[in-house]
Amino acid sequence: MTDMSIAWSEDYACGLNPGARGLAGLLRPVKTKALAAPAAEPAWTVSGDRPLIELRKVSKSFGPVMALDNLEATIFPGELVTVVGPSGCGKSTLFNILAGLEEPDPGNILRFRGRSSAASELLGQVSFMPQRDLLLPWRNVIDNAILALEIEGMPRVQARAEALKMLPEFGLSGFEAQYPNQLSGGMRQRVALMRTFLFKRDLMLLDEPFGALDALTRTMMQRWLLDVWQKHRRTVLFITHDVDEAIFLGDRVLVMTARPGKVKLEQKIDLPRPRKADIVTSPEFIGLKKTLLDAIEEESMKSFMTSGH
Amino acid sequence: MSLSGLSRVSLSAVKADRFVSILKSLIWIAALLLVVELIVVALGIRPYYLPRPSAIAAAFLATPQAYLLSMWRTLLETVIGFVAGSLFGVAMGVLFHRWTLLRELFFPLFVVSQTIPVIAFGAVVVLWFGNTLLAKAVIAFYISFLPVTVNALLGFATVDPRQVALMRSFGAKEGQILRRLYLPAALPQIFVALKLASSLSLIGAIVGEWFGDTTGLGVLLLQAMYNENVVGIWVTIVASACLGIGLYGAVSEAERRIVFWGAEQ
Repeated sequence: MTDMSIAWSEDYACGLNPGARGLAGLLRPVKTKALAAPAAEPAWTVSGDRPLIELRKVSKSFGPVMALDNLEATIFPGELVTVVGPSGCGKSTLFNILAGLEEPDPGNILRFRGRSSAASELLGQVSFMPQRDLLLPWRNVIDNAILALEIEGMPRVQARAEALKMLPEFGLSGFEAQYPNQLSGGMRQRVALMRTFLFKRDLMLLDEPFGALDALTRTMMQRWLLDVWQKHRRTVLFITHDVDEAIFLGDRVLVMTARPGKVKLEQKIDLPRPRKADIVTSPEFIGLKKTLLDAIEEESMKSFMTSGH
Repeated sequence: MSLSGLSRVSLSAVKADRFVSILKSLIWIAALLLVVELIVVALGIRPYYLPRPSAIAAAFLATPQAYLLSMWRTLLETVIGFVAGSLFGVAMGVLFHRWTLLRELFFPLFVVSQTIPVIAFGAVVVLWFGNTLLAKAVIAFYISFLPVTVNALLGFATVDPRQVALMRSFGAKEGQILRRLYLPAALPQIFVALKLASSLSLIGAIVGEWFGDTTGLGVLLLQAMYNENVVGIWVTIVASACLGIGLYGAVSEAERRIVFWGAEQ
């Protein structure tokens, strides 16, 4: 894991310093080249840890609207990668493709575990958690949590037993028989996360899972998520529009451009783990935040202008 | 522990509440009947127009067997037609939801079929199925399935597409999504239709009996009418009302138990 991290930072070093590139440099898709280059290098396979998922030239248009344009990204096993970008930048489209719900435009390369696949082959391969908790009101906590296991064909008794063991870790012990309308927002979100965790897949996609929570609950949930992630070591791709959250959680942060979306900046986060809550005030954190905010600000302005306001 | 204890206490409180409310409505009905009785006596209304409630009760008690048998027969026809109509209605809803082409082709036909008054069909149904219980059940069925289909479709349309996407991302098959998402999500809407269908199928059964039978509330009604037995007509009306209220109550109770989460979502 550690020597891999070193390898990336070297590979990406050329593209990681947007300050040196200047404003004009940021507008050009410099990243595409920087990202494509390492793929050809044998060093990647030598290091043993092969990418879990690779996206090359992934575009997606809905009629005249282009949501994604030649997006390139690579995710390695065990990583927690966060994605930030202005609203409407195609983050959710990216997730829908990775979840197998939407097929990208032809001409893309999508490699899952090193094998070229169609997006639809990813259905059932990725555990996906959408923005809203989407709990079923007629199922209690435990039955909501086991929904994915049930669909997989696991007998209910067995699935329930498995979920019951996980309850304390998700702060839900004693609540197994409650129904969603009896739970607070934070608890509902934890049930949804538990459902995602119980669906044991190599890649977890979390789409702004804490977006609707109040600031205090959100911080608690972030710390809790890191704990759980560190214990289970799943690969996580996490969408957010909160830069603090992106830095606090991520091994890497992908900043997306305004529509059509592609990766504008890929920032490695070298902050030590486990991360304490006060890390957000450290100079390193602030430095990273400034870099990312500059990049996002520019894109937000662009999307603001193009939307005609 | 304390939590479950608390809920048990509140549960028994709810039960007590329900008992009180039932008692209240019984007292109200009794009071209303008494008022009617007094008005009929005081104003000297002739039994031809409105018999005294006590006379209606007495007529029932004179030959309870006949009325109870008729109620049983009509109830049977109604329930068979209602259950078949509901199942068929939901099944058609599922088909129309799943295959839009089928919906475009046949849904208008469904609606047209309902614009033909059931009375017009009654004779044909009796010719086809004879003077049997089945014939009435068929009429009850015919009159009750459409609202169920319409509301099932309405309920399916309220399902959040993101919910469907989530299920699909778990690798769910069409059947699993239908059973675990669409059907439960549509239940509140379906129950609205079921309550309507329960009343409709009772009408279907009674009207069906007019085309010829020997027992049933419809038959009693016709006989009482031909004999100008006003009290008999009123007993049958009350008996029909009791059946209707009972059916509606049963469906409401089922709704309360099954759709406990209400229209939340």
